[in-house]
Amino acid sequence: MGNRIYNILFHTHTVSGIVISVALYVIFFTGSFSFFRDEINNWQRGHTVSLSDEITISLDGYLERISKDYDLYGRDVELRHYFNERNLNVSLGASKDSLAGEDDRAPAFFSMDTLDGGKGDYQSTYHLGEFLYRLHFLDQIPYPYGRTLAGFVAFFFLFAIFTGILVHWDKIISNFFTFRPWAKAKTLWTDAHTALGVIGFPFQFVYAVTGAFFLLKGILILPVVTGFYQGDENKFYGDLEYNHPEFAFFNKPVEGPVEIDPLVKDLRAAWGDFRITEAHIFNYGDENMHLALSGYLEHKTKLNGLGYRVIRVSDGSTVEERVPMTNDSYLDGVKNMLYRLHLGDYAGYGLRVVSLILGLISCFVILSGVMIWSVAREKNNIPERRRRFNRQVTNIYMAICLSLFPVTAMEFIIVKIATSVDMAFMYQTYFPLWLVASLLFIFKKDIVFTNKWSLIIGGVLGLMVPLTNGFVSGNWPWITIPNGAYHILVVDLLWLFLGLVALWIAFFKLGIKKRVPVKG
Amino acid sequence: MPANNKYLTPSPWQRFAKITAAILGGLMVAVLFHMALASWVDHVAVIMTSTYTAFILWALLMVLAFLGKNGWRTWALYLGISLVLGLIFYWGIQTNPIL
Repeated sequence: MGNRIYNILFHTHTVSGIVISVALYVIFFTGSFSFFRDEINNWQRGHTVSLSDEITISLDGYLERISKDYDLYGRDVELRHYFNERNLNVSLGASKDSLAGEDDRAPAFFSMDTLDGGKGDYQSTYHLGEFLYRLHFLDQIPYPYGRTLAGFVAFFFLFAIFTGILVHWDKIISNFFTFRPWAKAKTLWTDAHTALGVIGFPFQFVYAVTGAFFLLKGILILPVVTGFYQGDENKFYGDLEYNHPEFAFFNKPVEGPVEIDPLVKDLRAAWGDFRITEAHIFNYGDENMHLALSGYLEHKTKLNGLGYRVIRVSDGSTVEERVPMTNDSYLDGVKNMLYRLHLGDYAGYGLRVVSLILGLISCFVILSGVMIWSVAREKNNIPERRRRFNRQVTNIYMAICLSLFPVTAMEFIIVKIATSVDMAFMYQTYFPLWLVASLLFIFKKDIVFTNKWSLIIGGVLGLMVPLTNGFVSGNWPWITIPNGAYHILVVDLLWLFLGLVALWIAFFKLGIKKRVPVKG
Repeated sequence: MPANNKYLTPSPWQRFAKITAAILGGLMVAVLFHMALASWVDHVAVIMTSTYTAFILWALLMVLAFLGKNGWRTWALYLGISLVLGLIFYWGIQTNPIL
């Protein structure tokens, strides 16, 4: 690679990296916790959840409960199990009965607790897992700005890892084995950035591409729909199999109770370990009532085992189906894999723990990149004014990023102590804490201090998370293990691990400054 | 070791041309490439594939745009390729209409 190309790649890598660094750090940090989103929710609520990630029956029972509040006749009803927690998402379409009252012609959306039947709107069932999950695509910034911003961060991250890997291409092997922890600070940062960046490349590449797709798909859809489909969105989504089929509403109520549980049992018996994640009912209570059950085969049986069956309820006949055992549809494969690869949820806790560690390593790669940027500009030939500016930028970046760790640990303790937690509460505690912690570190103007104390405070608070959980809810590990409450246990262990690692780094690994610099 | 300035683009207009060619031009070529391909072969499979390949291609075109010496020539190149791809797409959609 010639000097010109090398320097251009280097420069574009630096500029794109420094521009997205803070947002990307927030995304990776909170994203790492999002691997355990459902666990964090169940931990916060003290719920024991069976590990089968599906809608548990009885569907008839749920529908009966919903029908106490809503007249379901003539509506489309959808029950969705998207996250592995007790709550189901319920969405009710407007009634197609032309004689229906005003209330019944309004659609409704809410979540329902499958055990106690409790109904909650989005704000009141908000919890820490959801908060961190949302923060990882900057969704607290109003739609569509936050998500679009996060999407562009993901995309520029893809650009940054391409230029980054190209910069190191010629020396990728030799640099990989170069680690000079006792050399001067900049070499240390460079070695860490390079080695961990190269190790993390496949992981980060997958997240950059899938993340960009989730958040920026509109950029692709718009030209394809307008140019290719001449604006016919329905046909587009139909072709890509995103639409439900449509069934006419006969407006002839069926007599007797509607029973769909037997249909669900039939499907289960036929498809082995198939997990139903969505039940969509068309024209509830009508003669032309249909039921669509969709889900997936357990991942260890078949990684791409999506399937569905549409059943006419009146006679139980199958109208249409895609058998998951034999499903080799390319469309389903791509759709499924984009999510599986991003969520890392197809190989048990092991893969998710590894993903969490790689995510936090990526955080370190981002910060070491900022440090390289900063240290490389501490040179005599750069005017003092510019250097002061650079130092201040680094100071602010480090303060915002590093304070995230103690603040997140603190928030875990807060939600456990607080008597009631909703969306507003979460916003009112997390963001002010983060702001105050960032400002304190910014005014201290000492990166070494910021680094050390954010790790120490975060580590101590992190170790207090399982203790708080034990004292408040009594869910100590020796209670949760025999009870099989693994969701609760996992979060406790996660913080035990993070707390110990943070303190170990703070007390045993940050002594670099005192060591005598040697030439590397 | 910040990048050596003597290899970087000093003129603001050149920088503007390169950055816009990279982001907008790259996007245009990436999207039109997939649309042109989709108009001739199995369009559903190509559109589904573009969910990941379009972003990868776009990012690679971005990298390439910065390597060119003259940003306006990069623009001209990307516009030219877009035009050709647009024609292939137009021809394809007339030959194999999907609606």
